[in-house]
Amino acid sequence: MIRACKEMGIETVAVFSEADRNTSYLHLADDRICIGPAPSAQSYLNIARIIAAAEIADVDAIHPGYGFLAENAHFAEVCRECKIGFIGPSVESMQAMGDKIRAKELARAARVPVAPDSQGAVTTVDEAVAAAERVGYPVAIKAAAGGGGRGIRFAHNEATLRGFFNQARAEAEASFGDGRLYVEKCFENFRHIEVQILGDLHGKVLHFFERECSVQRRRQKVIEETPAPQLDRSLREEICNAAVRLAEEVDYHNAGTVEFMLDSENRFYFLEVNTRIQVEHPITEMVTGEDLVKWQIRLAAGEKLSIDQRDIAQRGCSIECRINAEDPEDNFKPSPGRIEALVPPGGYGVRWDSHVYQGYEIPSAYDSLIGKLIVHRRTREEAIATARRALEEFVIHPTRTTIPLCRKVLTHERFVKGRWDTTFIERELLNRQF
Amino acid sequence: MDIKQIKHLIKLMIDNDLTELDIASGDEKVHLKRAGEAQQPAGVPVFQAVPPAPAAPPKAEGEPAKLEELVDVRSPMVGTYYSSSSPDVDAYVDVGDSVEQDTVVCIVEAMKVMNEIKADCTGTIAEICVKNAQPVEFGQVLFRVRPAQGT
Repeated sequence: MIRACKEMGIETVAVFSEADRNTSYLHLADDRICIGPAPSAQSYLNIARIIAAAEIADVDAIHPGYGFLAENAHFAEVCRECKIGFIGPSVESMQAMGDKIRAKELARAARVPVAPDSQGAVTTVDEAVAAAERVGYPVAIKAAAGGGGRGIRFAHNEATLRGFFNQARAEAEASFGDGRLYVEKCFENFRHIEVQILGDLHGKVLHFFERECSVQRRRQKVIEETPAPQLDRSLREEICNAAVRLAEEVDYHNAGTVEFMLDSENRFYFLEVNTRIQVEHPITEMVTGEDLVKWQIRLAAGEKLSIDQRDIAQRGCSIECRINAEDPEDNFKPSPGRIEALVPPGGYGVRWDSHVYQGYEIPSAYDSLIGKLIVHRRTREEAIATARRALEEFVIHPTRTTIPLCRKVLTHERFVKGRWDTTFIERELLNRQF
Repeated sequence: MDIKQIKHLIKLMIDNDLTELDIASGDEKVHLKRAGEAQQPAGVPVFQAVPPAPAAPPKAEGEPAKLEELVDVRSPMVGTYYSSSSPDVDAYVDVGDSVEQDTVVCIVEAMKVMNEIKADCTGTIAEICVKNAQPVEFGQVLFRVRPAQGT
C-alpha cells in the first residue's frame, strides 16, 4: 500500500503498536504514529485509536489492508461519519456480504448457483435436523456472521448434529456476537475457486479472472495459483461472469473476491464474498498486469474503471506460497523471535512481498504470516520449477517456517498434475511422517 | 595533481570525518570515497544492527546524560496534548510544581473527548516535553518528574 501510494505521489502515515515499534518497514511511510500496546484489541482492532491517529495526522483516507478491521462494516461506517475516506467497498456491501445468510439470498437473486441449504437461520436443533434431512447429509453448520473458514462444523448424521448444535450456537454468539446458524449441504471434496472483482462508483464491475486456492491447511490457504488448472474456458467464463453478476446485484465498488466451491462434477456453488483486498491478490496482478492496490486507491477517489473486460487477459501462470513463521515438524507451533539471517530469493519471475528483514523480531502477538513468495512464468511447469528453485534458495535462520511444507507440495505428484481438492494437504502430506 | 596533494586531501577527509570528496581543478578531477560504517563487504550477511530509526523513540529526545532517575509520564492514547483545560486558563502544571498520583497534569483530546491525564507518580515536574496543541502518539513522553524522596 505504501509503495503504491509513493508511486502515485500520495503521502502515507503508518499506525503501529508497541510490538512493532522500531521496525524498518515503518520508515517506508512518510510518518508513523503509535496507537497502543501490543494486544490488538488496544491497537490494530481499536477503532477509536485508529480514528484518533487519522485525525491528528489529518489524512484523507484509510486503507484497512487485510485482517484486523478490513472487513468490519462498523469501522467503515465510523470512517464515513468522520469524513475519512475508506479504501474499500461501501458499508452496505460489507454488511450484506458479512451476513452469510443474506449473501446467499443475494446470490440467488443474481442467478448465481448456491449450495442447497436451510434457506435462512435455524433457531432450534429440530429445525436444523429438518433442514439437514432436506438437503441430505453430510451437512455443514455455519455461523451467519462467520466466514474465512471460521464458525463451521460438519455433521454426517442426525446424532452428531444434535450433539453439537447448542454449543455451535454459543460459540457463534461468543466469537461473532451473532448466534445465528444455517445448514448447508457439504461437499466432501471440492476445489476452492475464487474470482477477483473491481467495481467503480459508476456501476461498472470487472473481473480479473480466477484463483485456485485449494491447497489449504485447516481451511487456511497455503498455496494459491492462477489460472486454475484444468478449468475449461467456458466454465471459467461462467464462474467469472457469475461473480460479476453478484457484484452488480449489490452495487459493489472497490475490490472484492467472490469465492466458490467446485465439486468433482465441475458444478460450482457460491461460498462467500470477501469485501477486501486479499492476501493472494499478487498472483492476479502478475498474470493480468494490473496493480490492484493502485486501482483500489483510484476507485476510492472516485475514478472510473477506464478499462473494459476485453482488455483483461491472463498471461502465463503465477503461484504464491504463503510463508508462515511456524514449525511444520512440530505441529505448526509458532516460531516468533529474531530473524538472525534472511536472504530472500530473486531472479526472473520471482516476487517477495514481506515486511520482515534480517534483524527483525517477529512478535508473538500477531498472525504468523511473514511473507508471500510469488512466481510468474509462461507455463505452469516453469512456474512450479521457479517456485521450487526460489524456495530452495531461501535462507532464513533460526526462524522455523512453512517453507518445507510448500516445497513438499510443489514436488507432490498430485499437485504437479493439478489433481486435488481442499483436503489435499491434510490427506496427502500431514498423515505421513514429515 | 601529485600523490602529495592527494595524501593531503586524504588527511583532510579523515580529520574532518568526510566520506566523499570531489575536486575539480581545470582539467583535473579527483573523486575520493572513504569507507565508513555505511558500507559493508558485499555478500556478508549482517547479523546485527537493524538500520537506525530516523524517528527517535520517544525516550531519547535530545536528552543530556541523566544524573538522576526521572520518571516519564507517557500519553495513554493517541490525540492532541493541551496544557490547560481551556485557552484562557492557566496550564495545569509548570516546571517545578509538585504532583501526586491523582494530580491532573494535562489533557489529551481524542475524537472530541477531553481526557484528563494524571501524573501517576509523586514528585516535581522537571521537564515538559511537549507543546500545547501538539499531536501525541500512544506512549509518547509528556513530562519528566523528579520523584519525591523515599518513593
